Parts: sequence; structure tokens; C-alpha cells
Amino acid sequence: MSRLTDWLAPRTVVRAHCDLPCGIYDPEQARIEAESCYKIIEKMGANSDPAFTTRAIAIKEERAELTKHHLDVLWHDYFKPEHLDKVPNLHEMFWKATKQVSKVKASTDIADAKKLLDMIEEIAGAWRATGGAEKTRVVKQTA
Amino acid sequence: MARRARGPWRVTVAEASMLPAIAPGDWLLVDPTVRRWPRRGSVVVFREPDTDELAIKRVAAGPGEEVRFREALLRLADDEAWLTADADAPTAAAAGFGAPRDSGRFGPVPLELLVGRAWFRYGPLRRIGRIR
Repeated sequence: MSRLTDWLAPRTVVRAHCDLPCGIYDPEQARIEAESCYKIIEKMGANSDPAFTTRAIAIKEERAELTKHHLDVLWHDYFKPEHLDKVPNLHEMFWKATKQVSKVKASTDIADAKKLLDMIEEIAGAWRATGGAEKTRVVKQTA
Repeated sequence: MARRARGPWRVTVAEASMLPAIAPGDWLLVDPTVRRWPRRGSVVVFREPDTDELAIKRVAAGPGEEVRFREALLRLADDEAWLTADADAPTAAAAGFGAPRDSGRFGPVPLELLVGRAWFRYGPLRRIGRIR
């Protein structure tokens, strides 16, 4: 049977090509953008100038979009099916966090931004539990 | 033509950008003699323009046809085809791979780089059948 299988097995490999992920991942990237959203909402509360508010809204939406992008990269590219053993609620975690980003995008309530930071911290915990910086960052060279 | 008849006639698939129609590890029969391709919807084996590796994708548009790319409409030349992945990024990611690479990345594929049409899966046993 195995000789038959050997005989049948194709010799040529064709690739259903996917991008080569660089392997560098860190939830800090998402966190920094989410912190921007947090600070912007804080500053909006302290300043009622309409021009400032307009700029703040535009910048907050842009930062929120970046937060979502970085979360998506972690979710799609870093986390693998085998990580579900260690983090069974992984998909729910990301689903809720990316939903929360959409909320922050539209919201001027600082509690929403705080909640997002907490959710990213939870994701950072999952990242650490599955390898963290040791696996996904380049070691810093100290002079 | 003679070059094509030498094959490959049988190929195995690596990576996941053609899920769910074609999975990594599938064994496929390839017809390297088909002359009237690329027909829209066919799955083809070709040499990837920027890597020269043998790759597999689906014909989204043939020579002279129009294809939507980002916000624009592209008209293909008479000697090129637009090849796309079946899987989207989350599907490929769920199988443990990065985002699919296709014409969206490497542009239209010159017909001379097409190698054949994948038309039948003969392994694994439980998935035997025509490629659609």
C-alpha cells in the first residue's frame, strides 16, 4: 500500500501562496494607539474649542483604526489554532476588543477608552502565555 | 506545446490560499495541454511573476477582460490574466498562514507563465473529485 502511495504521490509542489509573516508581534503596538484615543478623549473633555474638537475627533478615529489594524494582525497572523488550548476564549477576546475599538471611535466617554485598554491588556496576557516577547521580538542590543 | 506536454501532470499543494476548494496536501491532476485557457473560474498552475515558483490560483479575468482592483477598473492586455486566491486573510490565518498572495499583489500574470489547469483531485481519498 505504501509503495502504491509512493508511486501515486506527486513529485511537483505548487504553492497556494500566502505572505511570509515576519514573525514580529507585540500587543504594545495596539496599546500605544489605544492610549492615544484615551488621551484625546481626556483632552476633549478639557477643551470646548470647536476647531480643537474637530481635529481631536479626526485624529481619534485615525488612531482607533490603527488600533483595530494592530489587533487584527495579532489575531490573524500571530495567534495559531494550537494557541486555543492555552487561551480557549481567544476569538471572543479579539471579537469583543475590536468591537470595543469601534465604540471608542464614536465615543467621547473616557470609560470606553479605559475598557479598551483593559481588553488589550487581557490580549497581552494571552500573548505572553503563548510565547510573548521571547518568541516574537528581536532581542535589544545594549551598547 | 511540446514543453507543456512534459507536464507537470500531477502536483501536490502547499499553503492555504485556495481554501476551501483546495487544501494544503491535496493531490491534483493538471492538464498542461489545454490551449483555450485561461477561462474565468478555472484553477491554474503558473509561475509566480515575482518569485518564479510554481503556484496555484483561480482565473478571475482573462485576456482583454476588465477586473476591479481597489477603487479602479483595470483592462487586461491580450496576453495576460488576473489570478486570485479563494481564501481571504482570516481563512488563511485560521490555517496558520499569512494573507494570500495573488494578482492583487503581483499584478496581471502573462499567459506564458501559465503551466496548466488543475482539473481533478485524486487525493486524499475522501476528497476525490473534480476541481470547481
